[in-house]
Amino acid sequence: MMNGLRSKKLLFVLGPVTGLVMFGAVLLVATFLTNREYREPDRVPITAVDPTPRATGLADEAAAADAAAKAKPYVEAEYRRFPVVGSRVAIWAVAQLHLLFAAFVLAVPIFALIIEVIGYKTGDMRYDRLAHEFSKLLSVSFSLTATFGAFLTFMLIALYPKFTNYLMSVFSPTFLPYVLLFFAEAFFLYTYYYGWGKFHPLVHIALGVGLNLVGTGIMLIANSWLTFMMSPRGISDSGALISLEEAINNYTWMPINVHRIIANVAFGGSVAAAYAAFKFLAAETDEERAHYDWMGYIGNFVAIISFLPLPFAGYWLAKEIYAYSQTLGLTMMGGAFSWLFIIQAVLIGNLFLGANYYLWLGMGRVEGAQPFQRFVKYLLAAIVLCFMIWATPRSIIATVSEIRAMGGSTHPILGFFGVMSAKNTAVNILILTTFMSFLLYRRTGRTATVSWAKTGQAVQLLIFGAAAVFVIFLGVYGYFVEASVRIGLSVPQVSSVLFAMVSISAIDIFLFRKPKLTGEVRWGKIPAISQYVLIFIAVTFTWLMGLMGYVRSGLRQHWHVYGVIRDTSPDAFTPTLGFATQVVSVTVLLFFVLIGFVFWLASLHDRPDFNPGTKHS
Amino acid sequence: MTIPLPARIGLLVLATTGFYTYVGQLVPQKEVQPPQETTIRADLTTADMVTVGRQIMEGKGLCFTCHTIGKSGALRFPDLDGVASRAATREPGLDEVGYFAKSIYAPDSFIVPGFNPGMPVINKPPIGLNDQEILCVIAYLQTLGGTATVTLQTSHAYYTAPGATPPAPPGEKAEPGEKLPLTLPPAQKGETPKAPAAVPPPAKKGEV
Repeated sequence: MMNGLRSKKLLFVLGPVTGLVMFGAVLLVATFLTNREYREPDRVPITAVDPTPRATGLADEAAAADAAAKAKPYVEAEYRRFPVVGSRVAIWAVAQLHLLFAAFVLAVPIFALIIEVIGYKTGDMRYDRLAHEFSKLLSVSFSLTATFGAFLTFMLIALYPKFTNYLMSVFSPTFLPYVLLFFAEAFFLYTYYYGWGKFHPLVHIALGVGLNLVGTGIMLIANSWLTFMMSPRGISDSGALISLEEAINNYTWMPINVHRIIANVAFGGSVAAAYAAFKFLAAETDEERAHYDWMGYIGNFVAIISFLPLPFAGYWLAKEIYAYSQTLGLTMMGGAFSWLFIIQAVLIGNLFLGANYYLWLGMGRVEGAQPFQRFVKYLLAAIVLCFMIWATPRSIIATVSEIRAMGGSTHPILGFFGVMSAKNTAVNILILTTFMSFLLYRRTGRTATVSWAKTGQAVQLLIFGAAAVFVIFLGVYGYFVEASVRIGLSVPQVSSVLFAMVSISAIDIFLFRKPKLTGEVRWGKIPAISQYVLIFIAVTFTWLMGLMGYVRSGLRQHWHVYGVIRDTSPDAFTPTLGFATQVVSVTVLLFFVLIGFVFWLASLHDRPDFNPGTKHS
Repeated sequence: MTIPLPARIGLLVLATTGFYTYVGQLVPQKEVQPPQETTIRADLTTADMVTVGRQIMEGKGLCFTCHTIGKSGALRFPDLDGVASRAATREPGLDEVGYFAKSIYAPDSFIVPGFNPGMPVINKPPIGLNDQEILCVIAYLQTLGGTATVTLQTSHAYYTAPGATPPAPPGEKAEPGEKLPLTLPPAQKGETPKAPAAVPPPAKKGEV
């Protein structure tokens, strides 16, 4: 009893004490900084004593210093240095955190709205509840996004004033629409979340549409700023603005817009799935486990389905980068950043492995899944093989004697897998294999009942096989043709895979219209390791976003605005990939600490209200 | 002892990021410094220009990002081995120096058969080599299958050395793709080139 009272008193004083400690800390820092300033020693006022030659000299010196200070001309600082880590790393980390939260805040409303619409159309309230649960993560994330956005802006103004000034001079007409859209987003977001179940469903859906439109608008404006830095357009040789429209609609603007929308949804889905995994692992009842298993499945489904077309958007972006500047393109793929894509291959390989593993584990929760599980080993073999090809570098790090033995830095056999023909083939087959895993998972516990079921499945298999053979054929053909022909082969490869996915999905929808259910889905009956896989996928997605954000920005090398405003700061060099990965990791860890806080806040929503009569630990 | 859930998740996040950081340390580590501004001394001999040209191609010029020397097979951009022996006959009306200059100042005006356009204009940002640096590059290219002959007073369709007669007729501007008569300056082998007015004075420590 006494202990309880004591702990309540302690809790009561904890808030004010923390506030006082923080206030004291601020005072302490301010006092420390002030004490380091130089001050004149105390002495008798000069007017009270007879002036001596020394005193007169000092007074003259002070007057001269005062006059010099008043005559000091205003000089605009070009750069300022951030303590310890330097300006670039500071901006890098803050920008990355801002982008990660922004991506999450833009993505969640997209799939929350889609799920809500499904719930409205089918009348299944589970979807509505799920969409609501996803949107719970939004409000705190939105505040963090805005805070990091303001932080980034102030950091840019403080650390890179001249460059920021230039960017502002070009894009100032876009600032007001940006701010107004931001207000509109706050309006839609909070009304969408707090108005759940308070309006007619159609009104609520309209709010969700508004939220998505406004959020996308904000992203498009911000993308114009950063893509202009990479592929400036609409300016004179000296950088003066000629056409704002061209400056916005530069070479990489639209590919980045598309790439980011898709990547944001994939990333948002994976983080939401990680939230569900956290809740699943913390769940105390079967009902909770079933709900969060389902939520995790949907989140992961959103992530992977969005992830599959992402490489195609990536091709488009890379094509536009090459179209703008071959130098930029070659710096990316053949120069300083070429090894970064080997790291990317490891990450994407892990994502594919993780996603497929989760699906295979998920088959266990469906009765009658055994016939499909026998295919898993073949799928795994295909994924591992493609992963290995994709991660094979063209040149191998080797000792002098090894290089001599190989006759160069390229391995006589493995070197063949290091070129784009092999890598494009591997990634396309990876995508097809993952798509096949989804199809198999979709079939578990269901049998098609339509009269043309056998024909339909045969056609699906034929399309799948033809696409795979065609992709491999073009990959091999690429070794025997000139560069000008080879570069163009990636387009039919991508097109055939896209065609296969779309056509097979379309057939599948009609094939399983009124299926015969052969087994029940036992939500919640999945090994706990599957939930750790979901968290692993979310961390990998986040890390991948950090890495690709680095290459997009770092490609400019020693230019703030490529070819226009040169970076003359001490940070103008391109760091090693090892250093870059360290910064990415620190940023990812910070993001997960903060998103953990968001998860915790969201989970408070489900806790019972405080009851004075209940014993609280 | 059961590890609390937040700690388990924290460990997983830490291990995953740690693994990717480790992968990042396995690839070659190269810090790329911004290209140094070079000062071309006025008294460079052709032989010096060859050395400087090679340095520029390796560094500021970024030439070897795309081009190779002595490689064959599936190449994305032309290999430069023996390029000097081909240069004089690539385009009618253009000699070796003229062809090299055109390839550098107006690279898209002639594309080597079997390759796609892709070379940037080298005398403009982001690469932005100046005329003297380009002459040095040409000197080096001449050694790949031939003999270097250019000096800092060599003029060509895109550059007129100070004091030399402009190669283009008055009022006519050298545009990319145009074929203009070339004038080589009178500098002869073994002759010490005179310092052009626009070229900085010679020899300070640390200068190229």
